[in-house]
Amino acid sequence: MSEIDALIPHPGMPAPEPTALVQPPPRDQARQTLLGMVIQRTFANTGAVIGIAWLGVLAVGAVGAPFLASSYPLVVKTTDGQWFFPLFRYLTAVDVMLPILMILAIALVSLRRFSARKRVVTFFLAGIVVATTCLLLIHPQRREVFSEHRELQAAGKVQWSISPPVPYSPRDRQRDLGYPTYLPPALGGPHWMGTESSGSDVFSRMIHACRIALSIGFIATGIAVVIGVIVGGLMGYFSGVIDLLGMRLVEIFSAIPTLFLLLTLVAVMPPEWNPYRLYAIMVLIGLTGWVGYARFVRAEFLKLRKQDFVQAAIACGLPLRSVLFRHMLPNGVAPVLVEASFGVASAIMFESVLSFLGVGLVDEPSWGQMLGEAIGAAGSFKWWMAVFPGLAIFFTVMAYNLIGEALRDAIDPHSQRSTML
Amino acid sequence: MLSYIVRRLVLMIPTLLGMTFLVFMVMAMSPGGIGGSLLNELGQLDSQQARAQKDYYERRYGIRDNPLVQYGRWLHQVSPIGFEIDVNLDTGERRWNNFGFKWPDLGRSLAMKRQVTEIFAEALPVTVLLNVLTTPIIYALAILLGIYAARHRGRLFDVLSSVSLLALWSLPTIMVGTLLIGFLANRDYLPWFPPAGLSSLEAHNMAFLPGWSVDGWERGWLLDRLWHLTLPVVCLLYGSFAVLMKLMRTSVLENLSSDFIRTARAKGVTEHRVLWGHAFRNSLLPLITVMAGILPSLLGGSLIIEYIFSIPGMGQLMVEAIRARDREVVLANTLVIGLLGLLSILIADLLYAVADPRVSYE
Repeated sequence: MSEIDALIPHPGMPAPEPTALVQPPPRDQARQTLLGMVIQRTFANTGAVIGIAWLGVLAVGAVGAPFLASSYPLVVKTTDGQWFFPLFRYLTAVDVMLPILMILAIALVSLRRFSARKRVVTFFLAGIVVATTCLLLIHPQRREVFSEHRELQAAGKVQWSISPPVPYSPRDRQRDLGYPTYLPPALGGPHWMGTESSGSDVFSRMIHACRIALSIGFIATGIAVVIGVIVGGLMGYFSGVIDLLGMRLVEIFSAIPTLFLLLTLVAVMPPEWNPYRLYAIMVLIGLTGWVGYARFVRAEFLKLRKQDFVQAAIACGLPLRSVLFRHMLPNGVAPVLVEASFGVASAIMFESVLSFLGVGLVDEPSWGQMLGEAIGAAGSFKWWMAVFPGLAIFFTVMAYNLIGEALRDAIDPHSQRSTML
Repeated sequence: MLSYIVRRLVLMIPTLLGMTFLVFMVMAMSPGGIGGSLLNELGQLDSQQARAQKDYYERRYGIRDNPLVQYGRWLHQVSPIGFEIDVNLDTGERRWNNFGFKWPDLGRSLAMKRQVTEIFAEALPVTVLLNVLTTPIIYALAILLGIYAARHRGRLFDVLSSVSLLALWSLPTIMVGTLLIGFLANRDYLPWFPPAGLSSLEAHNMAFLPGWSVDGWERGWLLDRLWHLTLPVVCLLYGSFAVLMKLMRTSVLENLSSDFIRTARAKGVTEHRVLWGHAFRNSLLPLITVMAGILPSLLGGSLIIEYIFSIPGMGQLMVEAIRARDREVVLANTLVIGLLGLLSILIADLLYAVADPRVSYE
């Protein structure tokens, strides 16, 4: 950022210190930034708090999935006095990384002494360090023998052991127990939410699916927002020919139903990509979902480009990057945030539809895939396969929508007045 | 107005080109390329037959050519203006004859071994029926209930509806469809509705209207069709209904608190006329604006619903075609669905001008 850049006032900047002549406003009011105000107002909304609470539950499930549902016990003491920690042999780099990052995030949020920017920067730096160390150091055992512990127990070799609350891995087909397919749920029984067609435990798969749902939502929306902001920003700023061409591009993507496009893209994905299918699907959902953001940003930028502060920034000879992203974007970004919250909901919905149609994830636990197995080939209906995953999708989508509504009301006082009226 | 419509129609051409180009290139990049499905089925033949078949496909469709050339060839095939082409099936030679108007040819489905036009003639009416039936119901319900909620603002109905609308909007279609078909169309629970299809097997022997026949009460073709359509339509409409009703309520409330309504009330206009004569038409504008977005999403939604309820429409066709990599069907489907989407956006824009006399496209 150049010197001049910092001198030009624009609405996105923190308010200047009040001069002595003006009656100084109360201390906490003066210190409140736009972001702080929005967060405060959002938390004052009951619906948003419920939504955030549900996402918190999901986050715990996503981060702690291997510790909550796994066929391997945490600790085993055999009758001949040996100690084993089977679960830790199978932890992947991501399994270790996520809890560390979560603890770090909670610690940084509660450290109020430092500025928000410092905390965010620390989190990212620490995140990169943790991620690389985990990826370099952790090599889990590849060959998984899910029945290992059950066989040891049956042989009477286990003195005592501590198992995770759900003692089944998501891909544990329980071959040694004779593939218990489509067992109905039994509270207090071995399978609280029943089993699915392959014999895996539904509850365990539900917990592990949290991670996929949350990550798909965030990453796909992140990609969509970045593309949308860049394309929409350029269209709005330059208008003219670029706008005309851009609008054709937007029209192409908005006239084909997103699901059609997504289905085509996913179905023709080469099989070599299968190990990275989850990431590919995230990227594809992002690539097909940017149109809404582009429209919003374009509309905002068309309004902003004639305003004085933008003209001043251009007249100062600032580079385009600075004009677009430092001066215009902070003023046009509010509706994008609201839209992004709804976007996360629809990304999760799209992933579950793809998995429901059987072209999504292969073998990975996903709510949509389980829902797709609820109606068997002979028309038999397994209600537990429809109700539990269906409700999980519903609650998650609802949570994001509630947060989106609250954000919209918090950012735009006019909309609050008109909906509450 | 006419020149505006013509300009919009002309602007549709680059959009349609872009859409089909996008899908074509995506299929070209996939393993096996554009002719992937053609070559897939060769695995079942013995080697000599397979080679002969492959040679034939290569001559007939030129599947080894540059994708751009193939796309150009496909464009020529679907365009209404062009040459008459004779393909010599023995040598793969193409002869370009008299230039002029011709019938657009959507090609031949390779997996189903039929003309795509023929397949579409069966599938398209089904999807259009589903959407044409659903859209007016959504709008009628949303407008009436939206006005009711706005007029009884803060009362029980309004509060309950504003909470439940967000929930309704968040309900995943795949869950609702599965639950409906599982609980209401299943022998183990309540066999009230048919689980699949658009008509019963015996429907083509029925009279059109319900009535009494030799073996007692007969529901007739029409009622049978409606009975089959009930669950799919319910599934298709609730999401858009939630959006529209919320919009209608907000819009009516905004209008009722504006200056021209205060003036009308001050003049002594009756409350009934204030609502229906002054506020109503103004409140419809946002609903017409969102129509452009609702119609493509309905088409997308009918894909899921056709899949769940085994309805032989465009959506199910698309799922099957994509799974079989049936290039002609996928491309033609993109073209038709895209055209429908663009036309519905145009219609929404024109309706906007009809509803709001201030808007004109001259």
